[in-house]
Amino acid sequence: MIINGIFLPFPLFVLSVGTMLLLASVTLHRSSRLSFSLGLLTLVLATVMTYYPAPIMPLAATQTLFFADTWANYTAALILLSASCIFILSWQDVTQRSARSADEYALLLLLGALGATAMVFSVNYMPFFLGVEILSIALIGLVTFRSRHTQKGLEAAMKYLILSGVSSAILLFGIGLSYSVTGSLVFEFSTAGHETGTGIAAAASIMVLSGIFFKLSAVPFHMWILDVMEGASVPIAGFIAVVPKIGIFSALVRYFGSEPVTPFLHNTMSAIIILTILGGNLLALCQTSLIRLMACSSIAHVGYLLIAFYSPGHFQSDTMVLYLAAYTAATLGTFSIIQAFVSPEGLQRSTISDWKGLFFTHPFLAVAMTAMLLSLAGIPPTIGFFAKFEIAASGLEQRHYILLTALIVGSIIALYYYLNIIRLMTTPNTSLNIGQNKKTNLTIYSTVFILTLIVFVGGIFPSFFMNSIHPALPSTRAEYLQSHIPLP
Amino acid sequence: MNALPALVCVPLAGASIIWLTDRLPATRRSGPWAITLMTLTLELLLLLWASFQGTSHQGPWLNHFSIPWVPPLGIVFRLDMDGLSLSMLWLTILLSLACVLLTTRHIRDSSGTFHALLLATISGTVGTFLATDLFLFFFFWELMLVPVFFLLCGWGHENRYRAAIKFFLFTQGSGLLMLLSILGLVIINFQETGILTFDYFVLANTPLSPLLSMLLMLGFFIPFAVKLPVVPVHVWLPDTHTQAPTAGSVILAGILLKTGGYGMIRFNLMLFPEAVERFAPYATLLGLIGILYGAWLACAQSDIKRLIAYSSISHLGFVMLGIFSVSPVGLQGAIIQMLAHGLSTGGLFIIAGAIQDRLHTRDIVTIGGLWESMPRLSSVGLFFAIASLGIPGLGNFAGEFLVLFATWSVSPFIAILATGGLILASVYSLKLVNGVFLAPSSSRAEPVSDFHAGQMSILGILMTLLVILGLYPQPIMTFSLPSPATITTSNSGKNAS
Repeated sequence: MIINGIFLPFPLFVLSVGTMLLLASVTLHRSSRLSFSLGLLTLVLATVMTYYPAPIMPLAATQTLFFADTWANYTAALILLSASCIFILSWQDVTQRSARSADEYALLLLLGALGATAMVFSVNYMPFFLGVEILSIALIGLVTFRSRHTQKGLEAAMKYLILSGVSSAILLFGIGLSYSVTGSLVFEFSTAGHETGTGIAAAASIMVLSGIFFKLSAVPFHMWILDVMEGASVPIAGFIAVVPKIGIFSALVRYFGSEPVTPFLHNTMSAIIILTILGGNLLALCQTSLIRLMACSSIAHVGYLLIAFYSPGHFQSDTMVLYLAAYTAATLGTFSIIQAFVSPEGLQRSTISDWKGLFFTHPFLAVAMTAMLLSLAGIPPTIGFFAKFEIAASGLEQRHYILLTALIVGSIIALYYYLNIIRLMTTPNTSLNIGQNKKTNLTIYSTVFILTLIVFVGGIFPSFFMNSIHPALPSTRAEYLQSHIPLP
Repeated sequence: MNALPALVCVPLAGASIIWLTDRLPATRRSGPWAITLMTLTLELLLLLWASFQGTSHQGPWLNHFSIPWVPPLGIVFRLDMDGLSLSMLWLTILLSLACVLLTTRHIRDSSGTFHALLLATISGTVGTFLATDLFLFFFFWELMLVPVFFLLCGWGHENRYRAAIKFFLFTQGSGLLMLLSILGLVIINFQETGILTFDYFVLANTPLSPLLSMLLMLGFFIPFAVKLPVVPVHVWLPDTHTQAPTAGSVILAGILLKTGGYGMIRFNLMLFPEAVERFAPYATLLGLIGILYGAWLACAQSDIKRLIAYSSISHLGFVMLGIFSVSPVGLQGAIIQMLAHGLSTGGLFIIAGAIQDRLHTRDIVTIGGLWESMPRLSSVGLFFAIASLGIPGLGNFAGEFLVLFATWSVSPFIAILATGGLILASVYSLKLVNGVFLAPSSSRAEPVSDFHAGQMSILGILMTLLVILGLYPQPIMTFSLPSPATITTSNSGKNAS
C-alpha cells in the first residue's frame, strides 16, 4: 500500500541521489576534497530544488509519505542553506587538519541534512521517524569526529547516543500507541480516542511530544544539548544548534497544523514554554564557555519559537518564518566567528573571557559578533528585533499573558549575558589570535560577512522574509488529497 | 522635498562617512571631529529650513513625511513635526553642537568610532522626536540605546562596565513593556476595524475600556518613567551619568532624558487622556518624591557629576508634576523646564568634564576653589549652577514656577511640598558653587588652562538661551505645545493616500 504513495519531493530526491553518489565515490577513490565538493554540490542543488513547486501526483490518501507545501519547502531551504554553511566552515578544518581523509565527515553531514529534510517533508510517522533516526545517527558520528583531538568528543557522542536512543524509543512507543488508537500512521495530532477516556490516546500524544521536545531540547528534556555541543567541534555544534531544531520544529508545526492546540495540552504547553524560556536563560547566566552559552541560548530561543507555535492567528506564520530565519542567521554567524578563532591544533577558544579586546584586535569580527548577539537579544537594527517583535505580537493576539511575561523576563536575562560578551570585547587587554591560514580566513570571513549582511538587511527590510508561508493545515491537506482519492 | 527624513538620515550618513574614513590610514586625528562638526552644521541648516519652511498643509502639524516600510504589518516610515518636536530638535542640535565643539576634540583613542557612535545616538534621538508611527518610534527608541552603551563601555570612567549594563538593562527591559502596549493597542484596533496599522493618529481613536486604557497607558508610562527618570526606577541614572565620558553625560542628561518627558506628553497624554487623568494623582506623587528625594541625595554627594545627576532627578520631577497636572499651564511649564534643564545641566556637565580633564578628579573637596586659577570657567559654572538652582530670570525658574502654579490649582499641599525641592536645590547648588569655585584655592603643582574665547562664546550662546527662556518664555510656551493627535486624522488619510 505504501508503495502506491511513494513520491519524493525534489530536494529529498536530490539529497538521496547525492548521498548514494558520495558513497560510491568514496568506495572508488578516497579524497576529502572530492567528497566535500560533491556534498556541497548536492546541498546547493537540493536548495535550488526547493524553489520548484512539487508535482501534483495522484496519491493514496492516507498512505502518502511526503507532502511538499511552501512551509516544508521554506524550512527545507533553511536546513539546506545552514548545512551548506556548516560545510563551508568545516572544509579547511577537516580536510587540512586531519591526518587521514575525512570522507565520512562529508557523508555524515549530508546524511544529517537528509534526515532533517525528510522530517520536514514527511506527513507520515514512518518517514518522520526515519528522518529523526538518520539525523541522530549521523550526529553521533559527527560528534565523535573530534575525538582525534580530545576525549570530550567521545564522551559527548556517548551521552547523545544513550539519551537520543531513549527519546527515540519513547517517540516510537508513542507512535505505536497512536497507531493502536487511530489505526493510521498519518503524521498529525489526532483528537480521536480522547473522548473515550481510555488515556491511551493522551499517552500517545504525550509520548510523541516528549520525543519531539527532546530533540528540540525544550526544558525538561534539555540536559543533553550543553554537553553534546561542548564536546563537538565548533561547526558541528553550530549544526546541532540549527539544523535538527529547524527540522523538528517544522515537523511539530505540521503535527498540529496551525490550528489551536487541543485543550488538554494547554497547561502542558504553557509550562514547557515557560520552563524552556526561563530555564535556558537562567542556565546561560552561569556559563563560562561560549559554546555552552550558545547552547543555552538556543534552548531559550526554542522557547520563544514555541510561543509563536502555540499562538495561532494573524501573525503566526510570518512570525515562525521570520524567527527561524533570524535565529538561523544569527546562530550560524556566531559559530562562524567562533570557528575563526580555532587554533591550527584544533583548540577551541570558547572561554568567554578569552574574547577580551576583540574590538581592538579584530574589529570586523567584533562588529559582526556584536550584530549577531544583538540580533539574538532582539535589539534593532537587526533581524532578531523584528522576530521578537512578531513573537510578542502573536502571543498578545492570543492573550497569552503569562507566556509574554516569561518572554520579557527571559529577554531581560538574556540581554545581560549577551551584553556581557559585548562588554568583554570592548575591554582593552587581549589574548585572542586568529590561528589559521589566509585561505581559511577568507572563506570564514566571507561567510561571516554574508550572515552579517542578512542580519542587518533583514533588520531594516524585514518584509523580504514575510511572504506568509503557511504550513498547509491538515484539513486543507486532506481536501487536497481527497480531490484525488476519497478517504477510506 | 522634505526636511524630516534628511534630519534623521544626515547624522547616520555622517556616522558612516566617519566610519569609512577611519579605515583609511592617512586620516588626521581630528578628522572625525571635523566631519562630525560638518554633519551637525548641516543638520542645523536643515533644522533652520524645517523651522521656516512653513506648513505645507492645514492643521497644527508643521510637517509630514511618510513612505511604507513593512507593508505586511502596516508599518509606515512616518515622521511628523509639531512645535513640541521642533523645540526638542533645536535643543538636541544646539546641545550636541556645543558638546562636540567643547568636549570631544581631544578624544584620543579611536576618535572615529567615538564620533560615529555619537552621531548615531543623535540620529536615534531625532528619530524618536519625529516618529509618529508607533513601531518606528519604538525602533528609534531602542536604537538610540545601542550607541550609548558602546560610548559608555569604550570611553567611560573607572566603573563603566557595570554602569553600561545597568543602563541598558533598565532602559531596554522597560522598553519591552512599551512594545507590549504598542502591540496591544494595534491588535485591539485590528480586531475592531480589521486594519493593521501602527499609525499614531489612527490609533488615537481606538475605543478602549477604562481598564485596558489604564494598562496600556502604564505600559507606555513605565519606560518613559525609567528614561525620565522617576524615583523608584532611577537607579541607573547616577551611575551612568557619573561613568559616562563628558560628551556622553551631556547627551544623556541634556537630550536623552528628554525623550522620556517627550514620550509622556506625546503618547501618554495624547493617546490616553482619560487614563492619565485617573493616574495623575499617583504620578504627581511620584514626581514629588522625585523632586525631594533627588534633591536630598544631591545634597549629600561629593562627586560633582553624581551631584548633577541627582539634581537632574529632582528637576525632572517638576516635569513629571507639570505633565500630570493635566493643564495647559502645567504642560507649558514642563516643556520649558525640559528645555531649561537640558541647557543648564548640559552646561554643568560640560563644566564638570572640563574640570575633570584638567584636574583628573571629580571630588568636590579635592578640587577646591577654582576661581583664582580659572575665573572664566568658574563664572560660567556659577551661572549654570544658579540657573539650576532656579534663580528668577533664567529658564529653570520660568519652568518651575509654571509647574508649581499649575500644581497649586490641583493640590496646594503638593505644590507647597514641591517648593521644598527648590530650597534643597539652593542647598546643593550653593554647595557646588562654594566647594568648587569659591572655596580657598588648593595649592596645585601643575598650572591649569582656563576656557579660551571660543569656548566662552559657545557657552555664552547656551547662557543667552537660558536668559531668553527665563525673561521672555511666552513665544516658546505657545509655540512648543504639542499638537493634538486627533485633529489631523482626516488630514493624514489624505496625505497617506
